[in-house]
Amino acid sequence: MHYSRVLVPIFAVLLIMVSAGFISAEVAPRERCLHCHGNRSVISSGKGYLYIDPHKFTATTHSRIGCSSCHDSVTSRHPADALRPSRASCKECHLPVVREYLGGIHAEKAACPDCHNPHTVRPAEVVSGADMNVQCARCHDNAGIIKKHGHWLPQAQLHITALPCITCHTGSQQYVINLYIQSRHGDKPRDGYAPATHDELAALVRPGVPVSRVIDADGDGVVSLEELRTFHRNAATRGMRLWGMMMPEKITHTYRILKNRWDCTFCHASGSKALQTSYLAIPDQDGRSIRIPVEKGAVLDLLYGTPDFYMMGTSRSSTLSIIGLAIVACGAMVPLFHGTLRFLTRKKRKDTPHGAA
Amino acid sequence: MAQHDKIYLNPTPIRIWHWLNALGIVTLTLTGIQIRWPEFLNIFGAYKAAVSLHNTAGIVVSISYLLWMAYYIFVAGTLLKIYVPTAEDLKHGLLRQAIFYFFFYFFGKPNPHTPTPDNKFNPLQKVTYLMIMFLLLPLVIISGFLIMNIGPLREVIIAVGGLKLLDGFHYLIACCFTAFLFIHVYLATLGHTPFAHTKSMWTGWEEEDKP
Repeated sequence: MHYSRVLVPIFAVLLIMVSAGFISAEVAPRERCLHCHGNRSVISSGKGYLYIDPHKFTATTHSRIGCSSCHDSVTSRHPADALRPSRASCKECHLPVVREYLGGIHAEKAACPDCHNPHTVRPAEVVSGADMNVQCARCHDNAGIIKKHGHWLPQAQLHITALPCITCHTGSQQYVINLYIQSRHGDKPRDGYAPATHDELAALVRPGVPVSRVIDADGDGVVSLEELRTFHRNAATRGMRLWGMMMPEKITHTYRILKNRWDCTFCHASGSKALQTSYLAIPDQDGRSIRIPVEKGAVLDLLYGTPDFYMMGTSRSSTLSIIGLAIVACGAMVPLFHGTLRFLTRKKRKDTPHGAA
Repeated sequence: MAQHDKIYLNPTPIRIWHWLNALGIVTLTLTGIQIRWPEFLNIFGAYKAAVSLHNTAGIVVSISYLLWMAYYIFVAGTLLKIYVPTAEDLKHGLLRQAIFYFFFYFFGKPNPHTPTPDNKFNPLQKVTYLMIMFLLLPLVIISGFLIMNIGPLREVIIAVGGLKLLDGFHYLIACCFTAFLFIHVYLATLGHTPFAHTKSMWTGWEEEDKP
């Protein structure tokens, strides 16, 4: 009994120490994994599926928790041990999302990694709608989708191109506007624009200054109308422009079509709170995006907002509406004014024709 | 009662164009109101119905405009004669006609202009229709065409200042047309009877004063 009282704690301590040593040997730092998996020679060896793009992976939230958080059975002797490391299930961390997804129509067709590669996935708020649509297009042929929507949706191609699918196929009731800086690629008008990279934007500011200062000049973390105006003034000469895209306010995985989305006026009507709310997404050095709030109502502003972002019936300018109505009123005043005088002087014009419309 | 001579002022192709154009412009105006202010006005039911009708009417007006121009250039050959004001029109005619409408008309003085098939518009009409047919209508058609084809013509739209500016431009011209519509319909009632000019645009025959 006496020996056991001494030995048991000693063994326990030894066990803990050995375990701790064993575990520390098992936990592989991200850089150590990427030393092999981030090397493109993995692809040439015929095992391209083992390649992890270090740049893209570093930008993910998953990279912060480390490789072994999901591949927890990896040993210090990997890959010499010839054991295939385990893979965590998404629901271990994302259970509410998985539950929601399993209740939808996509669950039978695709698993989480079919759309969200865990080694490249980024937070929803920094992913552009165009990027989201790329995922959808992997199963849903774009031309077919445009044709199908064209049966009922005017300008189907424009809608499909300008909106992420989940704007309508969503559980989110509201939407916001995400703004991106795009840069012209090539000199010809048809060469088109693509999202500006961090390096392209960094070239426009002094070294060491955050790239967000390209628009957010005072660095207060909010893009004002004045800052938008300054950006637009210089944008053309820099071969850049601001691009806007509607996004659901909240990302859901139901993909159901909300009834109100069949009604065009859900989007094409003025006074929507969503159009008051917009954000500017700026790419940072690590491939992530910084989201900067934009002054309320900026996308509605005729002169200082995004010139190429316009939604009929929604982003109309109140000032222009008033000017237009004043023109119409002037036209309506002529018959009123002339007609009144005509009526009052009718006796002077007996049998006198006058003509001209 | 005054005696009236009849002259054939509006040939059949022009009358067909006029009424087709009138229907098109009114349709464009009403659908345009719903498209811009859907929460205040709903004449055509669904928003997309208003958009589709607006697009269709726009195409009809555009094609009829081309036919109108083709008729005046290639068939009648009187386009410039009828629509372009002469130096005399600009020098004296405009003022004379304006004074007539806003002053002498009320005292029963005769209209200084007598329409003929080759000179059917008075100087004020010439200037107005010149602006409308050769400036505003082409501009509203071109801007409407660009807005109808945003995807394929995106670069052109950006080159002219962006979609937002283009839409504002389209809207303001449309407002000018609506303003003109009020004046046009009203002036059409200034014949020897309130419907004399309208009747002329329907039958082609205009009744004139017998000297």
